[in-house]
Amino acid sequence: MLILTRRPGESLYLGDNIKLKILSVQGKQIKIGLDVPEDMTVYREEVYLKIKEQNKQALETSQQDLLAAAALWQEIESRK
Amino acid sequence: MTRLGEREVSPEGIVYFPRGLIGLEDKREFALLSVKDNNSPFLLLQCVTDPGLGLLVADPYAFLKDYDVKLENPDRKTLKIENVKQLAILVTVTIPQNKPENTTLNLQGPIVINTQARIGLQVPQTDADYPTHYRPIDG
Repeated sequence: MLILTRRPGESLYLGDNIKLKILSVQGKQIKIGLDVPEDMTVYREEVYLKIKEQNKQALETSQQDLLAAAALWQEIESRK
Repeated sequence: MTRLGEREVSPEGIVYFPRGLIGLEDKREFALLSVKDNNSPFLLLQCVTDPGLGLLVADPYAFLKDYDVKLENPDRKTLKIENVKQLAILVTVTIPQNKPENTTLNLQGPIVINTQARIGLQVPQTDADYPTHYRPIDG
Protein backbone atom coordinates (compact mmCIF):
# COMPACT_ATOMS: atom_id res chain seq x y z
CA MET A 1 0.00 0.00 0.00
CA LEU A 2 1.25 3.44 -0.90
CA ILE A 3 1.34 5.68 2.15
CA LEU A 4 1.35 9.46 1.89
CA THR A 5 1.03 12.24 4.44
CA ARG A 6 -1.30 15.13 3.66
CA ARG A 7 -2.50 18.19 5.56
CA PRO A 8 -6.03 19.59 5.51
CA GLY A 9 -6.50 21.54 2.29
CA GLU A 10 -4.01 19.39 0.39
CA SER A 11 -5.06 17.06 -2.40
CA LEU A 12 -4.04 13.98 -4.30
CA TYR A 13 -4.71 12.96 -7.86
CA LEU A 14 -5.33 9.35 -8.84
CA GLY A 15 -4.58 9.41 -12.54
CA ASP A 16 -5.92 12.38 -14.44
CA ASN A 17 -9.51 12.43 -13.37
CA ILE A 18 -9.79 11.56 -9.71
CA LYS A 19 -9.05 14.23 -7.14
CA LEU A 20 -9.09 13.47 -3.46
CA LYS A 21 -8.88 16.40 -1.06
CA ILE A 22 -8.40 16.31 2.71
CA LEU A 23 -10.89 18.90 3.94
CA SER A 24 -10.48 18.69 7.69
CA VAL A 25 -9.34 16.50 10.55
CA GLN A 26 -11.40 16.53 13.71
CA GLY A 27 -10.23 14.07 16.33
CA LYS A 28 -10.60 10.62 14.78
CA GLN A 29 -12.65 11.82 11.82
CA ILE A 30 -11.22 12.92 8.52
CA LYS A 31 -13.41 14.73 6.04
CA ILE A 32 -12.50 13.91 2.45
CA GLY A 33 -13.73 15.64 -0.68
CA LEU A 34 -13.79 13.62 -3.89
CA ASP A 35 -13.92 14.83 -7.45
CA VAL A 36 -14.57 11.77 -9.57
CA PRO A 37 -16.02 11.20 -13.04
CA GLU A 38 -19.81 11.18 -12.98
CA ASP A 39 -20.12 7.53 -13.91
CA MET A 40 -17.70 6.34 -11.25
CA THR A 41 -19.18 4.79 -8.15
CA VAL A 42 -17.73 5.43 -4.71
CA TYR A 43 -18.62 3.02 -1.93
CA ARG A 44 -17.96 3.12 1.76
CA GLU A 45 -16.01 -0.09 2.33
CA GLU A 46 -18.14 -1.42 5.19
CA VAL A 47 -21.34 -0.89 3.20
CA TYR A 48 -19.82 -2.46 0.08
CA LEU A 49 -18.65 -5.54 2.01
CA LYS A 50 -22.00 -5.97 3.77
CA ILE A 51 -23.93 -5.86 0.51
CA LYS A 52 -21.49 -8.21 -1.15
CA GLU A 53 -21.97 -10.70 1.69
CA GLN A 54 -25.77 -10.37 1.50
CA ASN A 55 -25.71 -10.95 -2.26
CA LYS A 56 -23.70 -14.09 -1.62
CA GLN A 57 -26.24 -15.29 0.91
CA ALA A 58 -29.14 -14.55 -1.42
CA LEU A 59 -27.37 -16.85 -3.90
CA GLU A 60 -26.94 -19.67 -1.45
CA THR A 61 -30.53 -19.97 -0.29
CA SER A 62 -31.75 -23.49 -0.99
CA GLN A 63 -34.77 -23.96 -3.18
CA GLN A 64 -36.54 -25.76 -0.36
CA ASP A 65 -36.11 -22.86 2.10
CA LEU A 66 -37.11 -20.45 -0.61
CA LEU A 67 -40.42 -22.21 -1.21
CA ALA A 68 -40.96 -22.55 2.54
CA ALA A 69 -40.47 -18.78 3.04
CA ALA A 70 -42.86 -18.02 0.20
CA ALA A 71 -45.46 -20.37 1.73
CA LEU A 72 -44.96 -18.83 5.17
CA TRP A 73 -45.49 -15.35 3.82
CA GLN A 74 -48.67 -16.44 2.07
CA GLU A 75 -49.95 -17.95 5.29
CA ILE A 76 -49.32 -14.71 7.19
CA GLU A 77 -50.95 -12.65 4.45
CA SER A 78 -54.04 -14.85 4.41
CA ARG A 79 -54.46 -14.30 8.16
CA LYS A 80 -54.55 -10.53 7.73
CA MET B 1 -31.86 -24.07 -17.16
CA THR B 2 -32.22 -22.04 -13.97
CA ARG B 3 -31.98 -22.67 -10.28
CA LEU B 4 -35.68 -23.42 -10.36
CA GLY B 5 -35.33 -25.96 -13.13
CA GLU B 6 -36.07 -25.50 -16.80
CA ARG B 7 -37.63 -22.12 -17.52
CA GLU B 8 -38.18 -20.26 -20.70
CA VAL B 9 -36.96 -16.66 -20.75
CA SER B 10 -37.94 -14.41 -23.61
CA PRO B 11 -35.41 -11.79 -24.78
CA GLU B 12 -37.84 -9.09 -23.60
CA GLY B 13 -37.59 -10.47 -20.09
CA ILE B 14 -33.84 -9.93 -19.81
CA VAL B 15 -32.55 -7.06 -17.69
CA TYR B 16 -29.07 -5.76 -18.41
CA PHE B 17 -26.90 -4.74 -15.45
CA PRO B 18 -24.12 -2.52 -16.87
CA ARG B 19 -22.10 -2.88 -13.65
CA GLY B 20 -23.25 -6.34 -12.66
CA LEU B 21 -24.14 -6.78 -9.00
CA ILE B 22 -21.86 -6.02 -6.08
CA GLY B 23 -19.40 -8.90 -5.84
CA LEU B 24 -20.71 -10.27 -9.14
CA GLU B 25 -19.46 -7.54 -11.43
CA ASP B 26 -18.93 -9.85 -14.39
CA LYS B 27 -22.55 -11.04 -14.50
CA ARG B 28 -24.57 -8.65 -16.62
CA GLU B 29 -27.72 -10.36 -17.85
CA PHE B 30 -30.48 -11.44 -15.51
CA ALA B 31 -34.11 -12.47 -15.79
CA LEU B 32 -36.74 -12.15 -13.07
CA LEU B 33 -38.59 -15.38 -12.40
CA SER B 34 -41.50 -15.90 -10.07
CA VAL B 35 -40.78 -18.36 -7.30
CA LYS B 36 -44.19 -19.81 -6.64
CA ASP B 37 -47.04 -17.95 -8.25
CA ASN B 38 -47.66 -14.38 -9.27
CA ASN B 39 -48.97 -13.35 -5.85
CA SER B 40 -45.72 -14.00 -4.05
CA PRO B 41 -43.41 -11.03 -3.36
CA PHE B 42 -40.42 -13.38 -3.72
CA LEU B 43 -38.67 -13.59 -7.06
CA LEU B 44 -35.53 -15.13 -8.39
CA LEU B 45 -33.03 -12.88 -10.14
CA GLN B 46 -31.58 -15.52 -12.40
CA CYS B 47 -28.34 -14.98 -14.28
CA VAL B 48 -28.99 -15.76 -17.94
CA THR B 49 -25.44 -16.86 -18.69
CA ASP B 50 -24.95 -18.97 -15.55
CA PRO B 51 -27.77 -21.41 -14.69
CA GLY B 52 -26.44 -22.07 -11.19
CA LEU B 53 -26.49 -18.39 -10.27
CA GLY B 54 -29.78 -17.02 -9.06
CA LEU B 55 -30.36 -14.56 -6.24
CA LEU B 56 -33.48 -14.57 -4.16
CA VAL B 57 -35.03 -11.11 -4.20
CA ALA B 58 -38.30 -9.60 -3.00
CA ASP B 59 -40.56 -6.64 -3.51
CA PRO B 60 -39.85 -4.62 -0.34
CA TYR B 61 -43.17 -2.78 -0.55
CA ALA B 62 -45.01 -6.01 0.15
CA PHE B 63 -43.51 -5.79 3.65
CA LEU B 64 -42.98 -2.13 4.40
CA LYS B 65 -44.69 0.83 2.85
CA ASP B 66 -42.30 3.67 3.59
CA TYR B 67 -39.10 2.37 2.08
CA ASP B 68 -37.41 5.22 0.27
CA VAL B 69 -34.57 4.57 -2.16
CA LYS B 70 -32.31 7.49 -3.03
CA LEU B 71 -30.71 7.69 -6.45
CA GLU B 72 -27.87 10.06 -7.28
CA ASN B 73 -27.60 11.66 -10.70
CA PRO B 74 -24.95 9.23 -12.04
CA ASP B 75 -27.26 6.33 -11.06
CA ARG B 76 -30.17 8.01 -12.82
CA LYS B 77 -28.05 8.39 -15.93
CA THR B 78 -26.92 4.76 -15.87
CA LEU B 79 -30.51 3.64 -15.45
CA LYS B 80 -31.69 6.06 -18.18
CA ILE B 81 -34.59 7.20 -16.04
CA GLU B 82 -37.09 9.51 -17.65
CA ASN B 83 -39.98 8.79 -15.36
CA VAL B 84 -40.08 7.31 -11.84
CA LYS B 85 -42.98 5.12 -12.92
CA GLN B 86 -40.49 3.12 -14.97
CA LEU B 87 -38.75 1.98 -11.82
CA ALA B 88 -39.06 -1.24 -9.92
CA ILE B 89 -37.25 -1.77 -6.61
CA LEU B 90 -36.11 -5.14 -5.33
CA VAL B 91 -34.10 -6.17 -2.30
CA THR B 92 -32.06 -9.32 -1.73
CA VAL B 93 -33.39 -11.93 0.66
CA THR B 94 -31.48 -14.16 3.05
CA ILE B 95 -33.06 -17.30 4.43
CA PRO B 96 -30.97 -19.15 7.02
CA GLN B 97 -30.84 -22.87 6.31
CA ASN B 98 -34.05 -24.63 7.43
CA LYS B 99 -35.26 -21.43 9.12
CA PRO B 100 -37.63 -19.71 6.71
CA GLU B 101 -39.20 -17.86 9.66
CA ASN B 102 -35.89 -16.02 10.09
CA THR B 103 -35.96 -14.60 6.58
CA THR B 104 -34.31 -11.18 6.31
CA LEU B 105 -34.28 -8.47 3.67
CA ASN B 106 -31.25 -6.32 2.89
CA LEU B 107 -32.62 -2.78 2.73
CA GLN B 108 -29.18 -1.22 2.34
CA GLY B 109 -28.44 -2.57 -1.13
CA PRO B 110 -31.60 -2.24 -3.22
CA ILE B 111 -31.63 -3.35 -6.84
CA VAL B 112 -33.28 -0.73 -9.02
CA ILE B 113 -34.64 -1.70 -12.43
CA ASN B 114 -35.81 0.54 -15.24
CA THR B 115 -38.58 -1.75 -16.43
CA GLN B 116 -38.97 -0.01 -19.77
CA ALA B 117 -35.31 0.17 -20.79
CA ARG B 118 -34.61 -3.10 -18.90
CA ILE B 119 -31.52 -1.76 -17.16
CA GLY B 120 -30.66 -2.75 -13.61
CA LEU B 121 -28.37 -1.34 -10.96
CA GLN B 122 -27.64 -2.19 -7.35
CA VAL B 123 -27.54 1.08 -5.44
CA PRO B 124 -26.07 1.01 -1.92
CA GLN B 125 -27.92 3.40 0.37
CA THR B 126 -25.19 5.02 2.39
CA ASP B 127 -26.90 7.93 4.07
CA ALA B 128 -30.18 6.33 5.09
CA ASP B 129 -30.01 4.15 8.16
CA TYR B 130 -31.47 1.02 6.59
CA PRO B 131 -30.66 -2.39 8.06
CA THR B 132 -29.05 -5.20 6.09
CA HIS B 133 -31.10 -7.74 8.06
CA TYR B 134 -34.67 -6.48 8.19
CA ARG B 135 -37.03 -9.22 9.43
CA PRO B 136 -40.34 -9.09 7.57
CA ILE B 137 -41.80 -12.28 9.07
CA ASP B 138 -42.39 -12.23 12.80
CA GLY B 139 -42.57 -15.37 14.86
